[in-house]
Amino acid sequence: MNFAFNQDQQLLKNSARAFLDEHCKSALVRALGDDPRGESEAMWKDMAQLGWLGLSLPETYGGSGLGMVETAIVLEEMGRAAYPGPYFPTMLAAGAVALAGGAEQKSRWLPAIATGSARATVAFLDAQLDWEPSAPATRADKTASGWTLTGTKHFVPWAHVADVLLVPARAPEGLSLFLVDPSAPGLKLTPVTGIDLGARWTSLALDGVPVRADALLGESGQAAALLARLLRRGAVGAAAEMLGAARRCLDMSVAYAKVREQFGQPIGAFQAIRHRCAEMLLEVENSHAATYYAAWAIDARAEDEALAASVAKAYVGEAARKVCGEAIQVHGGIGFTWEYDLHMYFKRAKALEAQYGDAEYHRELVLDHVAK
Amino acid sequence: MDLNYSPEDRAFQAEVRRWFETNLPRHELRTPDERKTWHRTLHDAGYVGMGWPRQYGGGGATPMQQAIVADEMARVNAPPTINGLGIGIVGPTIIVHGTEAQKQRYLKKILAAEELWCQLYSEPNAGSDLASLKTRAEDKGERFEVTGQKIWTSGGLIADWGLLLARTDSTVPKHKGISCFLLTMRQPGVEVRPLRQITGSAQFSEVFMTQARVEKSDLIGRLGQGWEIAQTTLSYERGGNSLARVTRYASALNQLVKAARELSRGGRPLIDDPLVRSRLGRIYAELEVQRYAALRVLSALQKGEAPGPASSITKLSYSEFEKRMHELAQEILGPWGQVTAGAPDDFSEVDTSSGEPGTWATAFLWSRAGTIYAGSSEIQKNVIGERVLGLPKEPRADRTKA
Repeated sequence: MNFAFNQDQQLLKNSARAFLDEHCKSALVRALGDDPRGESEAMWKDMAQLGWLGLSLPETYGGSGLGMVETAIVLEEMGRAAYPGPYFPTMLAAGAVALAGGAEQKSRWLPAIATGSARATVAFLDAQLDWEPSAPATRADKTASGWTLTGTKHFVPWAHVADVLLVPARAPEGLSLFLVDPSAPGLKLTPVTGIDLGARWTSLALDGVPVRADALLGESGQAAALLARLLRRGAVGAAAEMLGAARRCLDMSVAYAKVREQFGQPIGAFQAIRHRCAEMLLEVENSHAATYYAAWAIDARAEDEALAASVAKAYVGEAARKVCGEAIQVHGGIGFTWEYDLHMYFKRAKALEAQYGDAEYHRELVLDHVAK
Repeated sequence: MDLNYSPEDRAFQAEVRRWFETNLPRHELRTPDERKTWHRTLHDAGYVGMGWPRQYGGGGATPMQQAIVADEMARVNAPPTINGLGIGIVGPTIIVHGTEAQKQRYLKKILAAEELWCQLYSEPNAGSDLASLKTRAEDKGERFEVTGQKIWTSGGLIADWGLLLARTDSTVPKHKGISCFLLTMRQPGVEVRPLRQITGSAQFSEVFMTQARVEKSDLIGRLGQGWEIAQTTLSYERGGNSLARVTRYASALNQLVKAARELSRGGRPLIDDPLVRSRLGRIYAELEVQRYAALRVLSALQKGEAPGPASSITKLSYSEFEKRMHELAQEILGPWGQVTAGAPDDFSEVDTSSGEPGTWATAFLWSRAGTIYAGSSEIQKNVIGERVLGLPKEPRADRTKA
């Protein structure tokens, strides 16, 4: 048993840290926060060069064939840098194509994604905002050439830059997953702005959107299991990003507590601050254990994979919010200013806490697993 | 990363599980003699002092093998060894700091529970501030003479020997004037009084020493090295057994889920109440996180890395968790929670995490101990803040003053 990263994983972590330190400074995050598109094309191309976009895709389609642990390593660093862009939604959608797609779907999308020429996303939530993978009420009605989709999707990340949308809908055979062209007739995209400078949401109104027969991903009526798998990956990925945000806030707080003086001493010498920082570290270390255990469990197809993913999402969501919030408290007034970077992480953590299943949803899953 | 148990560890686990299925005592062990017999059965099977070096009678086992045995014991709620402190703390201290003669004299008898040990550290006015202890050991030529009082001494009543910290020099700053000794409890100068604790039982004692004798040959390490030695001892105390702990917590939580099925509110089982579900879901998620954290520590130990101050994080984490868990249990169990006798079995017997049998009430009360013993939560946070995060120390006069 080895809980530490292997040499390749450590190298990946180091290079991700170095790249993001150099190319994803807070000035860029702030500038993109004001930009309607919200992401940097140059950074996307660089990430393709680094192999991040094909990280977990099969080697036959230009990927590196790595797993959730490696994805989490990159995402943790992205959380640490408040990286703005569609990296993770694209990875999730590409993962679904790799898992369930036919040969043509794979060759159409995977190499394009790995080389940075295409982006993708997944529309998990219907109007009712129910994370249960079997919940979507959006309808898929049969036509001569395929289906038409009718319904509403909310909180679709980065749909405005995506080249393809994965849309779950209820076909006569049951829940199915479709690859939808964002420019299809009858599809209306409305941007939704949240507190996270580096996130972009979209609401989709689908009014009889035509999709061709070959747009079906996997078997018709069989999408619930695949969506559950995607949601688990989503939960663990979000945990990794929240962990990164929390660790950054802890680092900033400790550095600040060492130099900021009050009453003639660095504030870190006071137990009120020192104990707060110790509690923050405890939450960060527990979050690390939870996130990477779950990422490993997904890669290993371990028996407790689903449980571990829900544990990670439920635990880290709360922990990261607490740590990022405590960081503001340690910094006092300066921590509350727009000028200082802390709020970017606090907001990232808060926004992700509600994504891929909030804590209440995942606690319910945890109890389902253990109360069987 | 690879969190799979190796095939060898899996095979070992299966073997240990079978052994406990066959050999687990069928009834509660009541007397020290019964507990010694169980200890010797474990010893014969190679499950006592597993991690000690072979040359001192140990098994030379890996941290993973030790964790597996502890975990399997927890799984079947097996009674603990009677010489836990001897095996876990005193023996390792002698192995690291003792002379060859001390090793020959004491180690085998610790392993076989021929001599039982306690730890004479805390004093009424020296708990978290252990270095301010007042018990004196005076050099009387051919021996030391010890006078003072210790408190919170686990197993004091049955102990034959104690690992003692006492002041040998009061003219130097307080951390520097302390020495570490082996003291026989079976002498006229030592009086042990049971100390009844919050749970109603008396696992602790007070120990009064009046001109008690310690042979010169029973000084551990150098004169004045006691504080340093105690630090290694405490890190043993904060080390390895986390996985077994989590297994004990899980066994209590599974019982709580069972109780939530049988009790009801508003005419429906508690387990169907969304509020109860949410809280049980959260505590279970926290339990799993304790398990992952334990595996992480174990993986570091396995590679020969000392857990060091990071073990403070684990200790803080699980002891605070244990309190939250039992607070929730009390809320869910309602009036049954605080009952000490006369409840139906389902609502009474539970794994108390202390290794001793008990009720939910005992477990709830016992959970208050974890954040006090072996370095309180406040001390752990100081250690984490100073030694892990590198935050400045509080200005403290006692670090320089004699």
